[in-house]
Amino acid sequence: MTTLTPPAQADGAAAMTRGGLLAILARKRDQLVVLVVLIAIWQGLSMLLGNYWTGTPWGTFERLAEGIAEGELLRHASYTVAEAIIGFLVGGIPAAVLPFLLRRLPMVTAIIDPVMVGGYGAPKLALAPLFILWFGIGIESKIALIVFTVFFVVYFSTLGGIRALDPKLVQMAQMAGASESTIARHIIFPGAVPHIFAGLRIAMPYSIGGAVVAELISANRGLGYMIQLRSMNFDTTGVFVALAAVCFVVFIANWTVNSLEHRLLRWRPPADVTAQKE
Amino acid sequence: MTELLEVRNLSKRFATRAGREPSPWIIRDLSFSVADGEFLTIVGPSGGGKTTLLNMIAQIDTASGGEIIFQSKQAPLNDKKSLKPGLNCQIGYVTQEDNLLPWRTCLENVLFPLMAQGRLTEETRERAQSLIRAVGLAGWETHYPHELSGGMRKRTSLIRTLVYDPPVILMDEPFGALDAQTRAQLQEDLLRLWNLGRKTIVFVTHDITEAIALADRTLVLTRQPSKVAGEHVITIPRPRDMRDVVTQPEFIDIYRRIRAQVQ
Repeated sequence: MTTLTPPAQADGAAAMTRGGLLAILARKRDQLVVLVVLIAIWQGLSMLLGNYWTGTPWGTFERLAEGIAEGELLRHASYTVAEAIIGFLVGGIPAAVLPFLLRRLPMVTAIIDPVMVGGYGAPKLALAPLFILWFGIGIESKIALIVFTVFFVVYFSTLGGIRALDPKLVQMAQMAGASESTIARHIIFPGAVPHIFAGLRIAMPYSIGGAVVAELISANRGLGYMIQLRSMNFDTTGVFVALAAVCFVVFIANWTVNSLEHRLLRWRPPADVTAQKE
Repeated sequence: MTELLEVRNLSKRFATRAGREPSPWIIRDLSFSVADGEFLTIVGPSGGGKTTLLNMIAQIDTASGGEIIFQSKQAPLNDKKSLKPGLNCQIGYVTQEDNLLPWRTCLENVLFPLMAQGRLTEETRERAQSLIRAVGLAGWETHYPHELSGGMRKRTSLIRTLVYDPPVILMDEPFGALDAQTRAQLQEDLLRLWNLGRKTIVFVTHDITEAIALADRTLVLTRQPSKVAGEHVITIPRPRDMRDVVTQPEFIDIYRRIRAQVQ
């Protein structure tokens, strides 16, 4: 029989890195162009309408640098980030675990389904006043709102992941003598990981957004509080500074989830067709 | 040779849905037996319940009647709960699809049954390696399934079953989706590996040439409901060369007889 020769791995990898690097650089360049265009539009608007409505890019940048230097921005941001991380974990971890526990109990899953759908669909913003009533205006009410938001998103995507698993893989494992726990650990779990990540990816900006919204309603610290206070003082530039900080936090959070996902899901074929074309 | 596996009056129809005509029999009163170390092939028309038959022998589907006797013991067949997929690793099953785990590399897929059975030792690892070499997958061990060609995935799935050495191996058109060249190579690999261990193999296919070329004995099934239409002992001497087995004088004769029975 003919022998199958694997591709010369080292060469292949090097070539791919070189090509990949060029593609990444090209993408970064294009992303920069988009950013510059947006800032130009912003500048144009501020010249057209006056500083009062939109602030100016340069003025915002100056205030941003000032805020960072004084430590004020970091203090508020760290408060918001702490809320987001705690809420994300407290909501996300049980949501990712629960469907695995319910896997063997389809009856229970069916019984709690309407509750879950209701929780998923409930307008979270409308719940914020209730949480403030119950948990006060401290960090607890913000965490409660984030937990409530994150939980259902992650629950449904994990559940979907478990249901999407090919039953033939489970059958194969049973034939090969795998126990229930081996199947759970080596078939069901790895199969659901991409779906769990899809849920986490959606939930991550929600948790930061949820923290900011909760702070807008009632707080004495955090980026949302900053936005609220500054808008009451007609400090448009100040609001933009706080918004820029929120965007930056979301950006970092997204990057973290992406790199974690990339590390854990190395086995996946490149699914992004547009990425391959580059 | 002693009978290792016996199928007696096996019947199967799927559950009837409320308000519908009773579903038809897929398999009706099917009986045959397989001897220890025998290579049995089963040919029949597509949609003739061949996969259903293997699923019942593999203990992943229930029967509506009849019995399956393995090593003189009756296998549970009546309800889903009492089924024992693979009968405690006694029956291996190479399915039509390769069913490789996409998150495991080629080698990790091959080692999966050994890991699941708690039999990962220096010795069994060495066995896995030698099987990988035997089917020409050396150098591909660390590749994920999506990085392998269809033929390589098939080979991986084949040796994943061979590696834990079950006494009976069921194969459901394992080479159906491959090109002719790869197919011939895999058939030769299979025969070579079979010659080393002389496992009992039940190999289902709709390709008469393949059925004759591989087998000690070939069963022909009828259209639904499936029954045995004929039985042919293949006398072509081994070892056989897959590329010129069709030129053997016996081949033409057996081919004609089987062709006449397959409707």
